[in-house]
Amino acid sequence: MSGIASPVEHQVIPAQPRRRDSRRSAALRLARRREPLLVVMTLAVFFLTTALEPSFDTSGNINFMLESAMPLAVLAVGQTMVCLVRGIDVSVAPILGIAAVSTGFLAQDDGSSYVLMLPLALAIGAGLGLVNGLFVTYARIPPIITTLGTLSVYGGIELSLVGSSAVQTLPNSYATLNTGTILPDISYLLVIGVVVMILAALFLWRTTIGRALYAVGNNVEAAFRAGIRVNAVLVSAYALTGLIAGLAGLVYLVYYRGAEGGSGITENLNLLSIAAVLIGGTTLTGGKGGVVGPFLASIFITVADEAVLVAGVNPDWQPAGVGVLLLLAIMLDRNQSGRRSLREVLLARHPKLPLTPPSEATP
Amino acid sequence: MSTLPHERARPRSLRRLDADQRWLAALVGILIAELLFFNFSISGFWSGSGSSGWLGTETFTYTSIIALGVMFVIFTGDIDLSVGALAGFSGIVMGELHLGGMNIWLAVVIALLVSAAVGVLQGLIITFFKLESLLVTLAGQFILGASSVAYEGAVPPSSFPHHFVRLLGTGTVVGVPNQLIIFAVLALLSVLIVHRTRFGRQLVLVGHNRDAAAYTGVRVSLTRVRAFTLSGLFAGIAGVIIAATFNSVTDYIGTPLLLPAITAVVLGGVNIFGGGGRVPGVIIATFILGLLTIGLLDDGVGNNATSMATGVLLLVALTVKGVMDRRLGLPSLGDRLRGRFPPAPPAGSPEVT
Repeated sequence: MSGIASPVEHQVIPAQPRRRDSRRSAALRLARRREPLLVVMTLAVFFLTTALEPSFDTSGNINFMLESAMPLAVLAVGQTMVCLVRGIDVSVAPILGIAAVSTGFLAQDDGSSYVLMLPLALAIGAGLGLVNGLFVTYARIPPIITTLGTLSVYGGIELSLVGSSAVQTLPNSYATLNTGTILPDISYLLVIGVVVMILAALFLWRTTIGRALYAVGNNVEAAFRAGIRVNAVLVSAYALTGLIAGLAGLVYLVYYRGAEGGSGITENLNLLSIAAVLIGGTTLTGGKGGVVGPFLASIFITVADEAVLVAGVNPDWQPAGVGVLLLLAIMLDRNQSGRRSLREVLLARHPKLPLTPPSEATP
Repeated sequence: MSTLPHERARPRSLRRLDADQRWLAALVGILIAELLFFNFSISGFWSGSGSSGWLGTETFTYTSIIALGVMFVIFTGDIDLSVGALAGFSGIVMGELHLGGMNIWLAVVIALLVSAAVGVLQGLIITFFKLESLLVTLAGQFILGASSVAYEGAVPPSSFPHHFVRLLGTGTVVGVPNQLIIFAVLALLSVLIVHRTRFGRQLVLVGHNRDAAAYTGVRVSLTRVRAFTLSGLFAGIAGVIIAATFNSVTDYIGTPLLLPAITAVVLGGVNIFGGGGRVPGVIIATFILGLLTIGLLDDGVGNNATSMATGVLLLVALTVKGVMDRRLGLPSLGDRLRGRFPPAPPAGSPEVT
């Protein structure tokens, strides 16, 4: 490799972007982050739609939109964990579904409270995520292929758990959790979502294993040399994603007051969670981003979705809209597109020698 | 890799088979075992009764064609997650054009052109903006799916002309289903393209090592775009055949075909990271998978469990192949990934203090 490496370096060094960020003020740097942009975009969509349709602005509707974003927001927080280690998990939707269905049936038949159901949902999620992690880490199957396989297996399990019935009647405590508010207009579900996000953010910022996720995602070689147990970190990332997806299943159950065989999959939660992560500024090339962006992006997607419905667009187009949004998010993000922004790509007249593909760390 | 000329010239005793050849031999063994099993467990398996048995290949031929298409993309180290949705979209485009009064064969040609164009577009987006094929085709899957729903409107197209349904769907020539003949032609073409043309060699080289391919003078981006074009075209063909088989087409028919298609490619021994594998392996794998599906359904196993079995098969095949390749000590899936997790440096080396 070393014989080939020198000409590549020779070619690439002049092409490095100028580092102007360090000279900007702190305020400008904050403005360049993804999170404020998302808040501004969400508010812009909200006020534009209100201008068109005044009833969009009622407190009930705002509350409803924030609540309806929560299953996705929690799921996106989970999806972030694998994306930080260069993974992807397209089996989160059926994991959510299995957790929702199995806890839902227990609650429906035995009247179990959600306090009892919480450990169950977490355990189901963590177990299913662990299976993903073991295949990815020890059988060395690429994450997308592993989770495509488990997507069909878990989806089948979910369907066979449900059979021909569905979870329809839940104990009253679940309805209280759904409709109740702590302060006026701040519902329990929103609080739960925010708490999950804060806990996940603290985990990523303040704990050793949280930092290890970034290290492994950024540079496996360096992480290994630094004494991080790479395989253990990879497995735990997938288990964590599953764990949070299980929690999202409980949130889903409370929000929809029921669950059925296709829960999670029919709502396109796989694509939506990946879109939320990428729009939230977390890259699939690993080691960059956090959970706040994906959380805010989930709210943005939900508000935009509602706004498009209010504008009278056929809801059938919703997946296409999310797909286009996903494409735009990765195209305009220099971290996603091989460290070349749209402008740099357009200015480059001659194709340079290929950069090392981001999926392969050079040993 | 194994397709290099000097390796082919080696004497071929069984002991000196390389990993690809051993895998191929294993696949043939599995197929024979499977046929024997169904021979005894399903009465009338060979004569074919209705939609099952040996003549029931029309229940999986379209999946096999999608698998052949996505195989080209996997050879280059990319992935195409949009093929299933694209097949559905192609069928919808053809059906709607026909409903609009267009000649059915002209509609077919346009649907194929549209599918190939979608492949070109995705390939261009991926290579031009240097994006992950995984993300672009995932977005493509949902854009195509939603487009199918919106384009088909309230009434999905159905009731195509009789000659169209006969020729591409249910017809047979001397007892051989027409679809099997179409598949055989496409399979032969794929073998020739991958193993006998300059483009095929470049395809595998690009997947094996993109830098090396670029230094050799291969136009890497062009090769990748071509692979996506073939993938789109094959998915389009599959969509038209689906329409002919069921004499109708709906928006949700295509997307579930993605998983079996990728499973067939991987089971066929194509390296999921690109750069290795044999087309005949994929062809055999499509039959193993398709007959397994038919057999399980015939044995009374539900649709749902059959799809679960496909997922398990995919994971098991990849795990076994990884173990086999690592044991044979050939540069392969395991070794290429092991570069990511290198062994500890020797004791006393300068950076350890």
